[in-house]
Amino acid sequence: MKLKAKMYNRTFEFHSVAEVMAKANEVKAGDTWQGIAAESQSERVAARLVLSRMTLEDIYENPLIPYEKDEVTRVIYDDLNQYVYNEFKGYTLGELREYILAHSGDEVLRLGRGMTSEAIAGVAKLMSNLDLVAASAKIRQPARCNTTIGLPGRISYRNQPNHTTDDVNGIMASMKEGLTYGSGDAVIGINPVEDNPENTAYLLKTVHEFMEEWKVPTQACVLAHVTTQMKAQELGAPIDVFFQSIAGTQATNEAFGIDAQLLENAKEACRQGGNSLGPNFMYFETGQGSEVSLEGDEGIDEMTLEARTYGFGRHFMPFMVNNVSGFIGPETIYDGREVVRADIEDLFMGKLHGLPMGIAPCYTNHMRCDQNDQENGTMLCAMAGSFYFMGVPGGDDIMLNYQDTTYHDDASIRQILGLRPTPEFEKWMENMGLMEDGQLTEIAGDPSIFEK
Amino acid sequence: MFIISSAEQKLISVGIDIGTTTTQLVLSRLTVRNSAPASVIPHMEISEREVLYRSNIHFTPIDDHLLIDAEEIAKILEEEYRQAGMNPWDVETGAVIITGETAKKENAANILEAVSEYAGDFVVATAGVNLESILAGRGSGASAYSEEHHKPYANIDIGGGTANIGVFDGGRVIDAACINVGGHLVELEKGGDTVTYIAEPAQRVLNDLGIELMIGDKATQKQLIRIAERMAELCVESIVDRHPGELLDELLMTPALKDTYEVYQVVISGGVADYVYSDYEPVAISTMTQYGDIGPVLGWAIRKKFAEAGVTLAKPLETIRATVIGAGIHSMNISGSTIHVNEETLPLKNVQVLSPFPKDHMPRDIDEIASMVSETVDRIHSEDPDKILGLALDGPAEITYKCIRDLAEGLYKGMQNYLRDRGVMIVIVGADCGKVLGQCLDIVSDHHIELVCVDQIDVDEGDYIDIGSPIMGGRVVPVVVKTLVFEKGNK
Amino acid sequence: MANYQNDMERMIVESVLAELRKSGAAPAACGNTSGGSVIEDGVINLPDIDHPTLTNAKNYAAVEAMKQVTNARIGLGRCGTRQRTDTWLRFQADHAAAMDAVFLDVSDDFLKANNLETITTQAATKDDFLREPNWGTRLSEQGIKKLHEICQQDTRIHEQRFQTTINKVQVQIIIADGLSSRAIEANIPEILPPLVQGLEAAGITVGTPVFVKNGRVRVMDQVGMELGCDVVLNLIGERPGLGTASSMSAYLIYRPTKETVEADRTLISNIYAGGTPPVEAGAQLVDLIQDILKYQCTGVKLNEATK
Repeated sequence: MKLKAKMYNRTFEFHSVAEVMAKANEVKAGDTWQGIAAESQSERVAARLVLSRMTLEDIYENPLIPYEKDEVTRVIYDDLNQYVYNEFKGYTLGELREYILAHSGDEVLRLGRGMTSEAIAGVAKLMSNLDLVAASAKIRQPARCNTTIGLPGRISYRNQPNHTTDDVNGIMASMKEGLTYGSGDAVIGINPVEDNPENTAYLLKTVHEFMEEWKVPTQACVLAHVTTQMKAQELGAPIDVFFQSIAGTQATNEAFGIDAQLLENAKEACRQGGNSLGPNFMYFETGQGSEVSLEGDEGIDEMTLEARTYGFGRHFMPFMVNNVSGFIGPETIYDGREVVRADIEDLFMGKLHGLPMGIAPCYTNHMRCDQNDQENGTMLCAMAGSFYFMGVPGGDDIMLNYQDTTYHDDASIRQILGLRPTPEFEKWMENMGLMEDGQLTEIAGDPSIFEK
Repeated sequence: MFIISSAEQKLISVGIDIGTTTTQLVLSRLTVRNSAPASVIPHMEISEREVLYRSNIHFTPIDDHLLIDAEEIAKILEEEYRQAGMNPWDVETGAVIITGETAKKENAANILEAVSEYAGDFVVATAGVNLESILAGRGSGASAYSEEHHKPYANIDIGGGTANIGVFDGGRVIDAACINVGGHLVELEKGGDTVTYIAEPAQRVLNDLGIELMIGDKATQKQLIRIAERMAELCVESIVDRHPGELLDELLMTPALKDTYEVYQVVISGGVADYVYSDYEPVAISTMTQYGDIGPVLGWAIRKKFAEAGVTLAKPLETIRATVIGAGIHSMNISGSTIHVNEETLPLKNVQVLSPFPKDHMPRDIDEIASMVSETVDRIHSEDPDKILGLALDGPAEITYKCIRDLAEGLYKGMQNYLRDRGVMIVIVGADCGKVLGQCLDIVSDHHIELVCVDQIDVDEGDYIDIGSPIMGGRVVPVVVKTLVFEKGNK
Repeated sequence: MANYQNDMERMIVESVLAELRKSGAAPAACGNTSGGSVIEDGVINLPDIDHPTLTNAKNYAAVEAMKQVTNARIGLGRCGTRQRTDTWLRFQADHAAAMDAVFLDVSDDFLKANNLETITTQAATKDDFLREPNWGTRLSEQGIKKLHEICQQDTRIHEQRFQTTINKVQVQIIIADGLSSRAIEANIPEILPPLVQGLEAAGITVGTPVFVKNGRVRVMDQVGMELGCDVVLNLIGERPGLGTASSMSAYLIYRPTKETVEADRTLISNIYAGGTPPVEAGAQLVDLIQDILKYQCTGVKLNEATK
């Protein structure tokens, strides 16, 4: 493994795989904050040159965080398909980039099973934005809970009707409006203010009653901590999927109050006591920078840690993985350019892991970012075959205080790219008179259609 | 105390309704809890209302002198508390209401006071036809329907002596009226046709119809149907056509409903309601007078007349018990989380509410505030120096320190004469600023007055309120709005 | 609507528009009513989003009622699949206000008018402050010096005024811009008078409030350790949401040390005109501080102590 590269008249020398991985990144505030970013554009490209010559085996043999030390590393290595790995282990990352861009989606998915998360991150670092979109667009591994997301020609949305005080009427009002725009076929997912089992159970029951009354074919989730949701289930709450935030190091997962065994237990609890069809029962949220923010980064760059998060997540065969890189803050993702790049990196890396990826191309008000950046990110991710986006009324999440895709954006993306909701949901919208031939009808956008 | 020691507090509440025909009691459990997220200033709300016990329905005991039989009332209550497995001292709040014709009895006020004393710690004696209309509409579910469907719902609680109309929109009461019609205004021999009593309002209906009936006469089936239909027409007329004809005008005990809105659906509660929502038909005199009155046939007539008028009748959650449930679980309000109380002052009963300031013009000037307050307060105070007075206002001209400080000075200055005699300053402010207004009043008065400053409570000029002892670790107080004006006869 | 030569022309145009709408080419759900921007004295005000702007609701009152129970941007209506002009402009205005709240500094005029001296942190610029979260938690050398000057001076003034031997300030109030300078400018003039007046009325000594520029929550720990006061109250601008750019939080800590963790703090958030009015919050904080001094703790410990 060679760690030196010459850029015209300058030679750059690196000392570890971790350093190469960090310095090969596009500019990210998190890397700068950690003090691991390339110091010049030339050094950045030199790192990529070095990276492109590393083989899959080089990456495999030099784990960034030791197997013995970190549960995430163990899950990644234990889950690896050795047959595929052995087939490709002599390929350099540069060659793998070309393989990915030249082969079919299914061939690429197969390759992904033999790649460690670090290798997947490494390939992504060698790719331009359009490379990432082109590669992502062809990879599709649908997932099913009550309904199936990720089918060709379809795009789905999480209806996100959050409220500042969990007022159930306020939540239902936003949810109704979103449904009429066709938002909610991925999941109706509420971030609660109060993380307790009673509140979680109450919200789930209320949403389920609505879904039953109006026969809405989807799944519901209250995004409390997974242990809170499990307690809510014991209180009789109907569970379709269990939500949890996950990260790319054991230390950060500990800060989230989780480990692999807990997630395994949750999955079993949903399989055995849940309300849904399956076989995919988990809903994960991830984002570049969470490890750095929680001081659990182990000196690794945030993009590589995000890939490791996917390596950890794929073990649990989730129904949805939701990337929220723009939510963490300017110390990890500073501006619009960084967040758009992070979104498409994450979409590609997640899909290559075989995950049902959705993106929240979002931003907070303390980032140098605006709605145009967010809409650009949304359009790119839609072209890249994101399985779903969020749907937030007017783009303004009044509870989490950040901006995300609007119900309007959801409808626009379907119209621009000729995409449809999940088959069951499309039929429901047609029955409700909300959609005809994939187009919203006159009454769409009116939450009062549910008034009797 | 700022920190809330417990997440919630449960209160046992009683509702007692002594009506024209029946007397009932309901015991319930109210849960008060903080509805605000952990890091925000607490906001207390009644989060749950659970009915624990519904009494039997007793005939209201009337003695030989046509007064309410106090002894019998006491027996009924004792027996019902026993049946419920509860004691009056377990009861922390609630309301007693005397309704319909019974409210006109000479000893009504005394009975009311006595029962409220007996029934529990902070059980409030309430009366007044509008209050009754509101409580019935809350108890019947009309208020909740209006909130759910975002449309105006009228509740008509038709009892023995009166039809109380409460109109709700978005869960809030927007109008109320009362007509002196009811099932028990004509009494007959049970299951028979001999008239035993005709109340004065019923006589007016008879006159209007040109029917001559005297006590001792035998009434025909057709006559009773015509009387009931006429009464039902008055109910329809008051809801649909807001310009009352001559008879309705005579029988209205309050001003007619306003004509600024349209009623979407009507809910009927009260004893008569059971015959509105059944398939009862008045084919035999024996069923029509089975209770010794015209209740069943009036119910049938209501169903018929509203159908003819094209008005949909929505189903009530409670019929005969609507008012008592309203009194039991909907009479208590919780103040905002911001009070400033010298605790030993509470509870305070029979506080007369005065609103010194016009609705949309709140003065900023200290002297102007003071003179408006003293004008209003001194007049009432000189008429009756024993009366406890409370000042109600929406809020300062602006929620700023300057305005609140000036308001405190103005209020204090304007209350000088009153405070010299009584010493307790009671302020009920609508806006979320009770704590700072209380603090300013305390400082302005140099800590020399007893002070109760309650916020986020909706009261009006002329209301009487009771303010209970603090709950939830002292953060909030229960407030019951009541009215003690006994309407005598017509309007 | 354009002026047409005659009725025939208008009918033709309208029927063409109707056809276009069917095919989705012309704005469908757009009506004539806009968000209701009021023009006063020749000045255009921001479009109002308190009321629904969708035009053909099945039950308009229901949508109106829904807006009463949530601040979410619902009932917006649409043109094609996009937002209508006024709600889109309002969104931009709210985002602009939020960004300005973060990226602009509290003005010198404001600080002067409110007699607030500035203490600096290690984050010299807003950019440093955002990129290096730890810098805003530590005072600069100069900041430490100035803190001692102002607060010790205050103790002497206090002794002169009250002729008492109290040589320590019990409560030190600091004001940190945090993530919203706007929150500071909007709330401080209203919250300080009832707070200081209330504390003094309760016989509690209060140090001269100071402004900590580019300060974060944790800077209060250092202030407390430097001054040795009982309670530090940090009034700090919250991360703005759209339409809540002026929301402020109050963090309280009892005798902080190096070991102080987040659970040791007591927090009151959502202080602004649309939440808890600052003037009311000031009076509420007086009660809270009395509890803290009585139980000699904050945070989880205070919740336990008062159980």
